[in-house]
Amino acid sequence: MTPFDVGLMMTGILLVLVLIGVRVAFAAAFTGLVGLIIHFSLLQGFDRGFFTALKMAGTIPHSKSVTYSLSVLPTFILIGFLAFYAGFTKQLFEASKRWLGWMPGGMAVGTVFATAGFAAVSGASVATAAVFARVAIPEMLAAGYSKRMSAAVVAAGGTLASLIPPSAILVIYAILVEQSVGKLLIAGFLPGVFSAAIYIAIIVGISAWRGDAPPIRGFTWKQRFESIPGTLPIIAVVAIIFCSFFFGLATPTEAGSLGAFIVLIVALAKGMKVKQLGQALHESAKLTVMIFTLIWGVLVYVRFLGFAGLPDAFEAFIVSLHFSPWTTLVLILCAYAVLGMFMDAIGMLILTLPVVYPAVMALNGGEGVSAADSAFGMSGEACAIWFGILVVKMAELCLITPPIGLNCFVVSGVRPDIPVQEVFRGCIPFFVADVLTIGGLLAFPAIITILPELMA
Amino acid sequence: ADVTWNVSLWGKRRAFTENVEKLAEEVAARTDGKFELKLQYGEALSKSRENLDGISFGAFEMAQICASYHPDKNPSLTVLELPFLGVEDLETESRVAMELYKQPAVVQDMARWNATLLMPTPMPQYNFAGKGDAPTKITDFDGMRVRALGGIGSLMEAVGAVPTSVTASETFQAIDSGTVRAASFAPHAHLSFKTVEASNWWTKNLNPGTVQCPVVMSTDAYNALPEEFKTALNEAVAPALDHYIKVYDDTYAKWWKTLEERNITQIEYSAEELAAFAEKAGPIHDAWVKEQSAAGLPAQELLDFVKAQIKG
Amino acid sequence: MTMRGNAAASGPGRPETYIRFDGALGVLENIFNLIAAASILILMLMAVVQIFGRLLFNMPVPGFIDITEQAMAIFAFAGVAYCQRVGGHIRMEILLGRITGRPLWIAETIGTLVLAFVVFMLIWGSWYHFDRSWTIGDSTMDIRLPTWPSKLMVPVALGLLFLRLMLQTYGYLRLVVDPSRQPVAVPVIEDVTAHAQHEIEDAFGDDAIAGETK
Ligand code: NA
Ligand code: NA
Repeated sequence: MTPFDVGLMMTGILLVLVLIGVRVAFAAAFTGLVGLIIHFSLLQGFDRGFFTALKMAGTIPHSKSVTYSLSVLPTFILIGFLAFYAGFTKQLFEASKRWLGWMPGGMAVGTVFATAGFAAVSGASVATAAVFARVAIPEMLAAGYSKRMSAAVVAAGGTLASLIPPSAILVIYAILVEQSVGKLLIAGFLPGVFSAAIYIAIIVGISAWRGDAPPIRGFTWKQRFESIPGTLPIIAVVAIIFCSFFFGLATPTEAGSLGAFIVLIVALAKGMKVKQLGQALHESAKLTVMIFTLIWGVLVYVRFLGFAGLPDAFEAFIVSLHFSPWTTLVLILCAYAVLGMFMDAIGMLILTLPVVYPAVMALNGGEGVSAADSAFGMSGEACAIWFGILVVKMAELCLITPPIGLNCFVVSGVRPDIPVQEVFRGCIPFFVADVLTIGGLLAFPAIITILPELMA
Repeated sequence: ADVTWNVSLWGKRRAFTENVEKLAEEVAARTDGKFELKLQYGEALSKSRENLDGISFGAFEMAQICASYHPDKNPSLTVLELPFLGVEDLETESRVAMELYKQPAVVQDMARWNATLLMPTPMPQYNFAGKGDAPTKITDFDGMRVRALGGIGSLMEAVGAVPTSVTASETFQAIDSGTVRAASFAPHAHLSFKTVEASNWWTKNLNPGTVQCPVVMSTDAYNALPEEFKTALNEAVAPALDHYIKVYDDTYAKWWKTLEERNITQIEYSAEELAAFAEKAGPIHDAWVKEQSAAGLPAQELLDFVKAQIKG
Repeated sequence: MTMRGNAAASGPGRPETYIRFDGALGVLENIFNLIAAASILILMLMAVVQIFGRLLFNMPVPGFIDITEQAMAIFAFAGVAYCQRVGGHIRMEILLGRITGRPLWIAETIGTLVLAFVVFMLIWGSWYHFDRSWTIGDSTMDIRLPTWPSKLMVPVALGLLFLRLMLQTYGYLRLVVDPSRQPVAVPVIEDVTAHAQHEIEDAFGDDAIAGETK
């Protein structure tokens, strides 16, 4: 067996293990470890090779976890858990309603606006949907909006949280592909806003045409301005996080910590109890360890792939395909859409990127390629950022598609009177909106790349 | 190839790795391709900090390391990282390192990792680039936040500066935004981390110190080589280092050009100012000797040996 | 996603000793997760001190990056067994969700044994990693913190996880033997609706009441 054969065989075993429900982090670590044992046994004999592999695998959990850039993750996760207690949702929704309610479908427009705003303190799409299902749906129903539309707006609006910074999934992408965490986070901002704008356009269009989602009028300017102070803490947090990244005033970890600190203070001032703080911390710790385990587990497998030379081979395979680079890219994105229907977004990214990312970079013409010589018309670094946002958007799309679009189930779970099929049906226009968004991001990469370029 | 060695490297191919590239080329040429050094970039085989670990248990046969990334893994090598040793060029750096590698204390130190030192990656002095008023006197550094690690950090602390934690890749933004005012790197790193683009001054002749980044190989793997491969490897060292220094000259050419294009003030310190800096370095040398002697290293001998070698 | 089997099951077949081990281990796991949670809070506060110290007093935390990196081992590993107990490590349940009874418990047992095997090996391997830094020496690059305490965290936390996995193997095996038994102290699969409910509870904490509509 050549190292490459071993690599291929172990990748097959990994797929089987993941399919039969072995926890992804450990399935990957298992495959990597066994792969290393076979690899080194072939080279050094089993007696020595076993220990070489054991010691090599044993360095990875610590070595790969103890990386400064990853320290931003728990701070982002904590912000998300605290933001709910700080009561940001209600105030944001109230302000959005008063300012934007006059449009056709005004309540739904306000909801999208508020979810986008909340996304700027929350890193998790599902939690955002859960929180807004409580705040926004009752008011939309009271205003005469259909259950289908009210629920779908919340499910779709929730997906914005992973694009608009802070976003845990973008941090993980940045670290896996060795790009600047700050740039990736900044890069998510405009596409998130772009996505929200397309949602709003679709809502306004449909509401104006069908006339079943009445505008909310009658707010005076005084009432509008009165709704502003309540949103100031969230605006402050967003400004601090955004400026810290954009102007480099603080590292992502520092900015995330400062954001979490401010949200904590506001939450405590709003009457969050110590017990609730403990719970938020407990949940943050659980999610953090889950992500770290996934990262080092998969990196054990990636280390083995490095010895087996598999990423190089896959790269050569992709480049040798007879499709054009654009066709290949679209096929890869479609594959992510399918995979995302059955897998958790973070697990999907960590598992596939080590092999897929180098291939995409090679399609574009290599890491160091200039915009002029590249297939997609952008430098290697820009391509890395662009692809990251596209992949995350694909993963988010799967949160509102059957069979297991989690956001729809969560909304339906908070509102048992709305069956999940209704939510899925209501999401069809937003699915169309997301496809348009992805098309827009493919056609106009500048939406993604312009802010990170302005940074440096 | 009859024998293939994996070489663990971090980052991409760059001036820093040209000695290894040339080494591989020379070895292949001298053995008709029968002895292959397979260069593996991007930490594919190990994180840079764990290259010595990988060597110790035989995961790969050769690696580039930097002593300062893990000072207590290789205390004997850190003698060349002490501030203000007075090394001015890469040839001296290279010559002194090769002599140091033969010292029994150093050989023993590395033997704990089953590692043998093959050749240095001579690094230029870590001069500071920074933004704002140019520090022309030692007192100008008082209160200045700087990115400087290890021995250079201690030296800066001794002159009143405030060493501040910043990762290399975040240094450009840190200087640009005022998180730190200056950073200490070799010229190629000032170029690749773009710190030079945020700076308006550079300490041309401060020469505060540098880092020690040898290429090491597995002692077992080396001993297992046929005699002619060993010879080929050893004979390849001199051309590899010559090539490296030549490539680095190109980097310097680019460096001088960048300094001029960007109108960067090149600070040249007077002999008195340099002496004042050197005075601050004295206690740091003493502290190193004291600490390493206590840990069982013939530290004073090593330091004296290095100083004598630098004088030539 | 998964939730825990109902440990309150009573009756003659109730595995008392097993439940007692589960409880004792659970206490230890909770303590470890609490330490992880505390370390996140402390990291956050230290970073805030770093920012204000630097901006207001020109006094950054010396070696901030070194300290952060070494402390990361706490929140990266300490909660790993807790997370396994509550079924928090992600997996794909498309196939598992379609089988029931003995085949399901056999699949779960195999899955748990795969985990136990790799975790055992990694305890061994990471112990070597710790041992090198302990016997030969290793320190961080800026302020030269020793790295061994942080490296020791890995085999310790994985050791706790290994005990949990042994317990879960037993928990699944007793179901393989008699599928009519009540699952106790093992993660069981939720359907997607129950999973959604779980996510909602995570988002709202104690406030969440199933079916609440206001
Ligand atoms: Na977000
Ligand atoms: Na999904």
